[in-house]
Amino acid sequence: MKFNRTLLLLVIFSIGCLQPTGSAWAQDLVAPDRIGRSDAPKSFTFRVLTAHSNNNAQPKFAAGMAELYEKYARNHPDWRVRIQLMSLQIPQEHARLLEQARNGTAPDCTSMDSFAVPLFIHQGLLKPIEQYFTKEEVEELFAFVRPIVSDTEGHIYAWWWTTDLRLLFRNTAHVPDPPDTWQRTKEAALAAKRTTPGLDGLLFNGGRNETTMVDFLPNFWAQGGKLVDEKGTPVFGKEPNRAYLLNAIAYYQDLIKSGAAPARVASITDYSDLTASAIAGSTAMMINGDWVIGQMQAAMTPDAFAKWEISMLPGPTAEQRSTASGGWTFVSFSKDPEKVKACMDLVREVYMGPAVEVLQLLPTRQSEFDSMPMFRSEIYQRIKQYLKKSQARPGFPIYTAISNRLQIAISSTLSGSHTAEAAVDEAMEQVAKVVPKP
Amino acid sequence: MKMALQRRHSGKDRKSPGAARSALRFNQGDHPFWWLCPVTIVLAVFYVYPVLEVLRTSFTDATLLDASYRYTLGSYRSILLDPALLQILEATFVFVAGSVIGQTTLGLLISLALQAGLKRRLFGVRAVRVTVLATWVVPGVASAITWQLLLSEADFGFFNAMLKFASLPPVPWLSAPWMAVWSATVANIWYGTALSVILLYAGLQTISPTLYEAAAVDGATAIQTFWHITLPGLRPTLLITVIIVSVLSLNTFEIVMPLTGGGPGRSTEVLALAAYNMVFYDFNLAQGSVLAVLMLLINLAVATTFWLLFRGSR
Amino acid sequence: MNYRSKRGITIYIALALIMLFFSLPLLWLLSLSIRTPAEILVRNLHVIPHSPTLQNFAQVLNNHQFLGYLWNGLKLAIMGAAGACVVAVPASYAFSRLQFRGKAQLLFLVLGFQMVSPLVMMVPLYRSMQAMGLTESHFGATLIYIAMYAPIATWTMKGSIDAVPRELDEAAMIDGCGRLQAFLRIILPVSLPGLASTFILTAMLGWSQFIVPFILLSQPDMLPISVGIFYFFGAYAGSAMQLVAAASVLSLLPIIVMVFFLQNFVVGGLTAGAVKE
Repeated sequence: MKFNRTLLLLVIFSIGCLQPTGSAWAQDLVAPDRIGRSDAPKSFTFRVLTAHSNNNAQPKFAAGMAELYEKYARNHPDWRVRIQLMSLQIPQEHARLLEQARNGTAPDCTSMDSFAVPLFIHQGLLKPIEQYFTKEEVEELFAFVRPIVSDTEGHIYAWWWTTDLRLLFRNTAHVPDPPDTWQRTKEAALAAKRTTPGLDGLLFNGGRNETTMVDFLPNFWAQGGKLVDEKGTPVFGKEPNRAYLLNAIAYYQDLIKSGAAPARVASITDYSDLTASAIAGSTAMMINGDWVIGQMQAAMTPDAFAKWEISMLPGPTAEQRSTASGGWTFVSFSKDPEKVKACMDLVREVYMGPAVEVLQLLPTRQSEFDSMPMFRSEIYQRIKQYLKKSQARPGFPIYTAISNRLQIAISSTLSGSHTAEAAVDEAMEQVAKVVPKP
Repeated sequence: MKMALQRRHSGKDRKSPGAARSALRFNQGDHPFWWLCPVTIVLAVFYVYPVLEVLRTSFTDATLLDASYRYTLGSYRSILLDPALLQILEATFVFVAGSVIGQTTLGLLISLALQAGLKRRLFGVRAVRVTVLATWVVPGVASAITWQLLLSEADFGFFNAMLKFASLPPVPWLSAPWMAVWSATVANIWYGTALSVILLYAGLQTISPTLYEAAAVDGATAIQTFWHITLPGLRPTLLITVIIVSVLSLNTFEIVMPLTGGGPGRSTEVLALAAYNMVFYDFNLAQGSVLAVLMLLINLAVATTFWLLFRGSR
Repeated sequence: MNYRSKRGITIYIALALIMLFFSLPLLWLLSLSIRTPAEILVRNLHVIPHSPTLQNFAQVLNNHQFLGYLWNGLKLAIMGAAGACVVAVPASYAFSRLQFRGKAQLLFLVLGFQMVSPLVMMVPLYRSMQAMGLTESHFGATLIYIAMYAPIATWTMKGSIDAVPRELDEAAMIDGCGRLQAFLRIILPVSLPGLASTFILTAMLGWSQFIVPFILLSQPDMLPISVGIFYFFGAYAGSAMQLVAAASVLSLLPIIVMVFFLQNFVVGGLTAGAVKE
């Protein structure tokens, strides 16, 4: 009996080893790992974030993307696109891309997180792509896009096709008017807590993660602070930027000390934690991203959802406001101009517009907000205005090091193990050690 | 009984009579060269170059951003003089020591219980084994996120909700620096005990049942049996287990990173995570290599210490 | 009667507590996997959601690569473990039975390879594998697995062989066998349970291995589940946790099947490995 079982197992295993893959899709135009006919003469490799492709784990998005891919395949019958997938482990994926680009084994066409683009531009690894887009298309991009995807001479190396931004979400049942300054935010939070005991006033990311930085930096930028100067040298530890940083950190600390925000924000590293609290009704306000609007709508009753409103992040004064935007781009590593063009055609026909609507993400051009029906609603028109005032993280490779050190600084200050001044000075010192040599 | 044990531990190769006849074969078989060949070839071809590269890089100032580099001791100086190093080592110590003690103890308990339970044909014993093994089979990131949900201090955090149910105050599992490292250690114990169970269970099987029978005949209690028969018989297996657990715990950050990211501050930034951040955030390949060398040295020191402690009658 | 049943109850209690500790996160994972996106993070103690659903499992199984991820993970783990055992067994025999200078140092050198963090080795490893043309193939990945797990396999097998008394070797060699034959005919069969647990140990390590397949393999249909699980996250981390949970639960299935088939080896039996006096 025992013997037979093991034998059976071995037989199954050997059969499995001999299985050919992909045979089921040979006839279709679109397969999980391919766009276009499998016998098309020309091909290029395409690495895309799983959630932005026909491999999206949720069937309705996958089907929508597959449709768009099919249209591209019909328009370009000569091309076969080999799909590779990229995960959300951004540091590892981009380190791997970096190494592969140096070795010449990088994919021809790939997704790239917007804040990694400057690194690759500086290394001279990307091919310029401005010739594939019209001047008008480029000019319609929101202001924060151009500096990140271009070099000093104005060549464009990446097409930034989707973005996001951070907003102040509030439950109007507890906070009827949008607070526009730090002071008013704190007061609104405390007032909400007084009328409803057990309620959290304001929730935000304060733990060690990039999300904390993206939520925090608008407070710094709103005052006019700069992390690096035009040449890319870190200046956040020098005046006046240092003072701005300390102001912003003091604002966070004050929120916790006064009780407006609970102490556990020092360990929150995930937007879904905040979303869950909003859905559960356990917080009056939160700082979160635009993408949770759809999540909240799906998870809440219409009455509950109707109570929630968005507004621009508060600043030190009502006029000094900012928010932060990230997003995704496409770049090309190929040395073959034909493949670069085919890649950009894919970007143009699928991602520059249609994909944004299918996936319910934000576009990067002002005109798209008006041309696509989903974005004509009042909320999205307001978001369009906010995007005009948004900033992106600085376009220099040193940013990730700065981010790592500032995350440490913020998180240790908020948890009480360091003073803000000591933490910021330490961060500046550590970053200075890794500044690239001239 | 005792004589048999002594002979087993004598450990010397003895030339047997009649060896002259097959002397040639004996000589070849006795030389370790051919036996060690496969391992040496595999390690030499695939592992030696990367390992030497890591050692070499630690003596440069290479970054992922720059193809050029110079040889310098600056990276070592940066790491060793970094005031945060102490905190990182502290977190690492708590994490590794806690994991070794926790995983080995739990592994031992589970193995003993499994063996006893199977002998008595108790129902449900197999389920325990499958459950423990399942903890390792579930992808690490999923486990880490699950633990994050359990430990979360939000309303949906299970542990604090249970405490509230019992009218106890909530615990800052992940937001208090001193607590966070213990939470990470417990999660790692949960994650890694499966390996100890496999090793220790196999070790338990090597103890002759006749020893147990003799003890039973002599009227020994469970504790006496454990102390005088099980534990000594397990000594070599325990040595291997603690060494392997310490090596794996020192090199792992799969659970810590999704759980806390190394925070709050740097309180849960164990060496492996610090190396990860150094390479992937600061892009500082050289300092990352220095941390890897540090990890190697600590690993060797720990393994050697265990070896010397446990060697006993080897 | 009293003594025996008291023992039995103690064992039961111990097992129950252990079961509680280990199964709690797994049950939570199971609970996450049957939730709709709306209920994924609900504020209550309910392990069973208000409206449980099996659609997450359906979605994961409909993902054309998911079964491939599981299969690749199993394949790489098993081939890597088999290779590591084949390579380690002779070495562990030598370390156990033969006397030679520098034996302890060599043992530690072998283990030392295990102690270098694969994370930092990622870049030179990729370069060397590329130079050898072994990237993008399961063959290349397996070879690295073998190199990575041979040290641990050597140490654990040595322990198993140490437990086999030398009298067996010597008896065989008196009868005229060479060392190799003594090894193959006598020692190896007796230490089979130890070999089995070494195999299972290295297979489990290979199953959870992330860095090596991540850096060496780019084609989705070659990736194991340890890498593939990340593709179930949504566009923003955490937004598709229910799918990740469902995928994790499903990834337990092949292992439970394997354990069922091989449980006799895992248990080791009550007689195997025992020393005949």
